[in-house]
Amino acid sequence: MNKEEIISSGLLESYAMGTTSHEETLQVEWWVKTYPEVQLELAEIELAMEKYAIQNAVAPAASVKDKILSSINTTATAEKTETPVRELSGFVAPVRRIFSPWKILAAASVILLIGSAILNVLYYNKYQAAQTAATNTKEELLAKNEQLEEMNKGISVVKNKYSVPVALNGLEAAPDAAAKIFWMKNTGDVYIESSNLPEAPEGMQYQLWGIVDGKPVDGGMIIQSKSGDTYNIQKMKNFGHAEAFAVTLETIGGHEQPEGTMFVLGKM
Amino acid sequence: MQTPAHYSEEELISKLRTRDQSAFTYLYDNYSSALNGIIYRMVDNEHLREDILQEAFVKIWNNFSQYDSSKGRLFTWLANLTRNLTIDTLRSKGYKKQQKILTNENSVVNHEDKNFSANQHDSIGLNKTINQLKPEQQLVIDLAYFNGYTQDEIAKEVGIPLGTVKTRMRSAIIALRKLMEA
Repeated sequence: MNKEEIISSGLLESYAMGTTSHEETLQVEWWVKTYPEVQLELAEIELAMEKYAIQNAVAPAASVKDKILSSINTTATAEKTETPVRELSGFVAPVRRIFSPWKILAAASVILLIGSAILNVLYYNKYQAAQTAATNTKEELLAKNEQLEEMNKGISVVKNKYSVPVALNGLEAAPDAAAKIFWMKNTGDVYIESSNLPEAPEGMQYQLWGIVDGKPVDGGMIIQSKSGDTYNIQKMKNFGHAEAFAVTLETIGGHEQPEGTMFVLGKM
Repeated sequence: MQTPAHYSEEELISKLRTRDQSAFTYLYDNYSSALNGIIYRMVDNEHLREDILQEAFVKIWNNFSQYDSSKGRLFTWLANLTRNLTIDTLRSKGYKKQQKILTNENSVVNHEDKNFSANQHDSIGLNKTINQLKPEQQLVIDLAYFNGYTQDEIAKEVGIPLGTVKTRMRSAIIALRKLMEA
């Protein structure tokens, strides 16, 4: 801008009325220092505004003068204790307060720090929850694997080409009861699938018998889980060859000869 | 304490720099009415006006070392300090935008009020110059000088382009200068 443009910009008028922005104020101050004509023009404008203000003057109450003079007498002793509210040099004094970049930086870093601390706690909690969940999943998986292994063992018994299934049917004591024997004709091994036996009462246990040459032979105790739902196909004692199989309910540990009630029976 | 009948602006400034209380009294006697006029245009409450004027003069006394005569005339500094203090006080008391930034719905009414108060001054013989300014010129000057509006705010308030505000403000002050010289 040349001198004429500066003078006709309207900025000098705003400056004289204290309504320029901080940047505009600095700009005008620089022009005033650089161009004597601009300085002269500004002085004219200021003088006009000064006269305008005097035209609009309203005399304050007479009592105000005494109050002011007595208060500067007290502040004269304690001068400079009052910090200026804001920049008053020249006539900058923009209405809007401009925060220093350092203050903004400091405030921003405090906010960032607090934010990061909160995130740390949040993420730590999330991490712990995830850790617990992962452990639980791992344990569950191990248990499932064990179950699967057991099932695979059972299925391999069923699928074995030498396995001969023998159905044991419910008798009077429990008509709905059932069990299955898988007899390996190559080895004579005996497996039982006992999940359809009623749960054995406390202190009692099912015992398998093979009927060999018309006489019952101990086939071993059937392991039953307490909840009654995790039966697996169990390997029992080997009879070589049996004509029939039966299961009786005996006291825990079983007997050499069947004493309790017979639940299921099946012939080869 | 002897107060001379008249100080030049330079004398007054240099005496105020040395914290001369008689110079301060002279300053009060010569400028308090004009500064109070600025407060008067923004504050209705007489008690609050007195408080602001008192605070303004205490600030002038305490912060006089901040006045830089190379940047402008003494009265410009005094007027800006007073205007800004008034605006800050109104804001801190919750007056905020009511006084400073008028809503569009109220603007016409408020401008009429300002004309009314100008006429009031006129009717009691305080102001002959104002009536000779065009109303739109007086409006931009008054919004800036007595209400602390920026040019942007005046443009929004009056509903005219920023460029028009600048030229109108310039023509207003040229007219004012001519009137003052006459």
